[in-house]
Amino acid sequence: MKVYLSGHLKQFAGGETEVSLPGSFTSVGEALGGLWSLHPALRDRVLDEQGKIRTHVNVFLGEKSVKQSDGLATPVDADELHIFNAVSGG
Amino acid sequence: MNDGLLLLVGTAKGLFILRGGKGKWSLDGPHFPGLAVYSAFLDQRKGRNEMWAAPASWHFGAELCKSTDMGKTWDQPEKRRIKMPATTRKPLENIWQITAGGDNDSLYVGVAPAALFESHDRGETWSLNKGLWKHPHRKQWQPGFGGLCLHTIVTDPKNPKDIKIAISTGGVYQTADGGESWKVTNTGVSAYFMPNKYPEFGQCVHKIARHPSKKKLFFLQNHHGVYRSRDGAITWEEIESGLPSNFGFGLTVSEAGSAFIVPLQKDAERFTCEGKLRVYRTRDEGKSWQPLTKGLPQKNAYEVILRDAVTSTGNNIFFGTKNGKLFASHNDGDSWKMIEGSLPEICCVKAYTL
Repeated sequence: MKVYLSGHLKQFAGGETEVSLPGSFTSVGEALGGLWSLHPALRDRVLDEQGKIRTHVNVFLGEKSVKQSDGLATPVDADELHIFNAVSGG
Repeated sequence: MNDGLLLLVGTAKGLFILRGGKGKWSLDGPHFPGLAVYSAFLDQRKGRNEMWAAPASWHFGAELCKSTDMGKTWDQPEKRRIKMPATTRKPLENIWQITAGGDNDSLYVGVAPAALFESHDRGETWSLNKGLWKHPHRKQWQPGFGGLCLHTIVTDPKNPKDIKIAISTGGVYQTADGGESWKVTNTGVSAYFMPNKYPEFGQCVHKIARHPSKKKLFFLQNHHGVYRSRDGAITWEEIESGLPSNFGFGLTVSEAGSAFIVPLQKDAERFTCEGKLRVYRTRDEGKSWQPLTKGLPQKNAYEVILRDAVTSTGNNIFFGTKNGKLFASHNDGDSWKMIEGSLPEICCVKAYTL
């Protein structure tokens, strides 16, 4: 699976905005676990302490928002994961 | 030029570090550009000069960062230092205060949602203060505009087990046993917005500060109300006579023992009274207040000064506004000078004598 990160997150991923995850995954949560094992610092930035995707962070599986699907339990049926900040702020 | 003063100015768009004093100031920053910094602290104990700041991203949350080279570089640990335990079922919203404990190695951090974190090893490890987290009043505390925040921590170098805190909205709480147990001490403080105007707790206390030499003398800026305590922040009495408004946020007490506030028009308006930027000072424990205007704009000055944006070191007084203006006085408030005029919205100002 290929993970695409917003530029804000690349400092926590060795300066990269694209990360290839080896292996296969049944859920988005499992795929993110693979991402954390490669780049542990991403976890606290993408998820809150209660293990939920932060309010103003979006995770898309292919073109589908996992927040509007089954969250971290969303079954993996695409080979691209996009993690980016929501359009918010002040 | 460096006259031996250092300011940590947290803004809505990053942290600025200013060095200088009575002469020119130099400005370094923004550190953490684009991130809001509501708390910062320079730990000068034992000459260690360790700098702390808490940048908060709208998107990726708040974290506690450290610099060991006076702000040249900052760490952002892989695992964040301040994390709400899973058992709390709450995410961290913001870090509002970083304070030295009463001993040489302790640090305390106040956060939203209304919690206190403590470290007793110079910030290497942190834990949630369980005594406060389990306080039976917690369920009835209510968030204000800034969230349910623990924004003020007052410690005592002569008695490290004595800690006083303020929560919006909850009010003043204090411990005499290092945080094992906490008692509420809001007697006399108004909660005008509640059906019971003087409840045991639920007040929206904006800031408390201790007198530098009279250790039982405290001042309190409330959400409408200015108070003094002479019994160690246990009971409070109004000291509002001579003020144009009793609403405001920030408060500091100088080395000389003068207390400073910046009154704002009523809750619903929240800007400087009559468009005049006036700091008010009391030198007699609140019996009288003097408006300080020399060097401050007295026309069309509609400023907002937040709860941690008024500070002092020695008799040098500083405050910052939401319009990004930063003012200094080097004579206990007698006269003022704007040292920066176009910073982002100023969230906190912390001052140190180097």
